[in-house]
Amino acid sequence: MLAAVLRRTGEGDRAAFEEVYRRTCVKLFGVCLRILPVRQEAEEALQDAYLSVWQRAGAFDAERGSAMTWLITLTRNRAIDRLRAKGKIATAPLDLADTVADPDPDAAALIEASQDEQRLALCLGRLEGGDATLIRTAFFQGSTYAELAARAGAPLGTIKSRIRRALLKLRECLS
Amino acid sequence: MSVPRLPDDDELLAAELAFGLIAGAERQAAQARLAQDSAFAAAHARWQDYAAAMVHDAGEVPSPSVWNAILARLPANDQAPGMVPRATLRWWQAGAAAASAAALVLGVVAAQRPAQVVVQVPAAPTPVAPMVAVLTGKHGLVTISFDPATGRMTSAASGLALGDHAAQLWVIPADGKPRSMGVMHAVGAGWGRVPAGAIPALSAGVTLAVSVEPVGGSPTGLPTGPVILTGKMTATA
Repeated sequence: MLAAVLRRTGEGDRAAFEEVYRRTCVKLFGVCLRILPVRQEAEEALQDAYLSVWQRAGAFDAERGSAMTWLITLTRNRAIDRLRAKGKIATAPLDLADTVADPDPDAAALIEASQDEQRLALCLGRLEGGDATLIRTAFFQGSTYAELAARAGAPLGTIKSRIRRALLKLRECLS
Repeated sequence: MSVPRLPDDDELLAAELAFGLIAGAERQAAQARLAQDSAFAAAHARWQDYAAAMVHDAGEVPSPSVWNAILARLPANDQAPGMVPRATLRWWQAGAAAASAAALVLGVVAAQRPAQVVVQVPAAPTPVAPMVAVLTGKHGLVTISFDPATGRMTSAASGLALGDHAAQLWVIPADGKPRSMGVMHAVGAGWGRVPAGAIPALSAGVTLAVSVEPVGGSPTGLPTGPVILTGKMTATA
């Protein structure tokens, strides 16, 4: 099990670390590519991510969540760190018009997606136009509430309550 | 399934943390709460699962150089607790000027324990035949099997009492230079790919050895602690 190999990595077992890499590098590289589309930068972010895995695997607690989610979260954070460090956090205006559909940029990959992924894509698709874009933008571009508000040209309070409403809807749909 | 529901504000805070919507002091406060509030931590874990489900497999494989770059960036000398003190780590280096490290390692082993059990399997040195070795010493027993066709090995260990240290497996071919086969499971069974640097050295008749190393493996790429088990590789067909 991935959780067991991750735990051994936390104990300093390099063979276990290699096993974690072998099992997860394609998925985690997918996370990096989504955030940093230039392959070279994605590969550098992937290195950062696995170094963090090596350093922090001891803090992973299987009681509190899945190993893959832990790895994805950590990788996302390292890739966003790299974006920020390079001053590359997106500032481009966001188009959130109600009429704009929210195509999942990776929709083609959904055919092979897990059930969880398909369910989430379905629920995101049911949100009002623009809401799913806001949520995806936060996660994949590292935009916080304040940055989303600036990019959408909307007051912070408006964006915040809009996203919070969408998150509660998302929970209803997923539970 | 009924999941205890948090008040909406707490639920939303957990989601905001998981999706990276909040920053600064707000984020720090939410993170601090994870350690104290298990219901909040559970909600956060659930939202993290949702966020992770937005990632679809792109099916892109990173270049092989990425793994090497990661290895190169690992700290050369792990500061893991319970590490063997540096003085003992370097014991073998004292004589390295006169004798090669491997010769010394083997000499020490031979002095420690001459009795060695090797599985005698009729050997016909076909390069692709699987190989096995039984490694013995004062305490414990390790069996190794290696399949040259796939470059993978299995290990099974019993009776090793290493405490806070790791058991590292080495192949020592005719040139006497140990090549690491990786840190092995000190208890029970394990399997994995043999490092590329060790594969050419693996043939029938070579010596395998297990040395005691700091957690994470030898920091130098050569055995640094005492060798506790040895055995010879034998082809199975």
